[in-house]
Amino acid sequence: MEALFYIFSFIAIFSALMVISMKNPLTSALYLILCFFAFSGFYVMLDMQFLAVMQILVYAGAIMVLVVLVIMILNISKIKRVETDFHQKFIGILISLIIFVEIIFYIINGSQKKSTGIFTGAVIKKIGNTQIIGEFLFTKYTLSFEIASVLLFVAIIGAYIFAKKKF
Amino acid sequence: MLFWLIAEIIKILIVFAGLLLSAAYLTLLERKIAARIQNRMGPMEAGFHGLLQPIADGIKLFFKEDIIPTEANKFLFILAPIIVVIPALSTFAVIPFGAPVKILGHIVPLQITDVNIGVLFILALTSLGVYGVVIGGWASNSKYSLLGGIRTAAQMVSYEIPLVLSIIGVIMIAGDLSLSKIVSEQSHIWFVVYQPVGFIIYLIASTAEMNRVPFDIGEAEGELVAGFHTEYSSMEFAFYFIGEYAQMVVNSAVIVTLFLGGWQGPLLPSFVWFIIKVFFVILIYLWLRWTYPRLRYDELMDFGWKFLLPLALANIIVTGFIMIILKG
Repeated sequence: MEALFYIFSFIAIFSALMVISMKNPLTSALYLILCFFAFSGFYVMLDMQFLAVMQILVYAGAIMVLVVLVIMILNISKIKRVETDFHQKFIGILISLIIFVEIIFYIINGSQKKSTGIFTGAVIKKIGNTQIIGEFLFTKYTLSFEIASVLLFVAIIGAYIFAKKKF
Repeated sequence: MLFWLIAEIIKILIVFAGLLLSAAYLTLLERKIAARIQNRMGPMEAGFHGLLQPIADGIKLFFKEDIIPTEANKFLFILAPIIVVIPALSTFAVIPFGAPVKILGHIVPLQITDVNIGVLFILALTSLGVYGVVIGGWASNSKYSLLGGIRTAAQMVSYEIPLVLSIIGVIMIAGDLSLSKIVSEQSHIWFVVYQPVGFIIYLIASTAEMNRVPFDIGEAEGELVAGFHTEYSSMEFAFYFIGEYAQMVVNSAVIVTLFLGGWQGPLLPSFVWFIIKVFFVILIYLWLRWTYPRLRYDELMDFGWKFLLPLALANIIVTGFIMIILKG
């Protein structure tokens, strides 16, 4: 299992690096999909099969298809020149510094914790985590689930109105 | 442990060889059935009634010159046909193709792996099939290929939604996402009896997912030469066909598992029943292809969004109501 962790980490980091260093946007998009696959590998190792499949079904199967389509329709086969200004550099350096400090913080303070609650690994293996997630969504977290679905519904109607409007 | 490993590898080899072989021979079956429908003979020269035709075709394609357009993106051009084939082949990993057998005192399930999210696994892998077509169309750097790729992408994204929703009825009745459990739930009655609408929606939407004829606007010969694979030749071209036919076998196997009782059946061994049922569903696909003309682009979109999607949603609601009434 340890070896698998390192393989997935290598793939994730390598493909994430390729996403930002590739000149061709479509190749970047494909490397991002590879990155999603590495993530779903992590989820499987953590016994979260449902999340792993959703990662591929939603991100790789739906969202990235739209990204690829937009790249194809805009016909940007190659980025010719990258323009950077002072603000971009400043914000970029600031964000990467914050993330770096966070990682250091986690490495120093992190320790193995025992899982709390009734859903231990053995229980999840027995009933499967899809059922557990479903049960929670429709009992304890019904309100937030409903709010999310209303938000999505509003977004769909909004998209429809924007697309329908004739200028 | 060693026994388990060897059994697993043998199962994978059987499934892999079986899928590739059936993909090759489906080309012959399709040509023979097309010939029968159009009152012709079909391929007759190679072997008895053309039985060696797929092998002859394979050798011919293998030795053909491999032409890559100069303006094409070489890496993506070669990658695209591979992306079509891999998800199609790996989907079969979760499909049970026979009852568990006993070998040397061990019980071996005839399924490569029984994950507890089998149905979602299939849906996730089918959703990746669109990339091969889109990237192939884009990387060829040709007008026809690009148009074919964009059309196909729009079509596949639209038809994926009814495809997913049509399965939910089955999951609700079975109460499980694992395919082996869904098969064992059907020991008394097939789910097609409870879910006739879901069955028909899945059949139509999967035909659209595979770009077969009533829905093949992506490769429409009359207007787009051959759509996304216009520029392809030699083995890359063959890969698109292997992908398409392997997808057809896999989709038939999924239909058999979800709606037609999987490997269950009287008298004959279980895997024989599975093969017979898959063959039957494949015949329906072929029959559809040679019966209907191609839909126009806007008709196709209207049919997906204004007819199949509401129908699939209504199917879920009605199934839920009936389940509650029968329970209470």
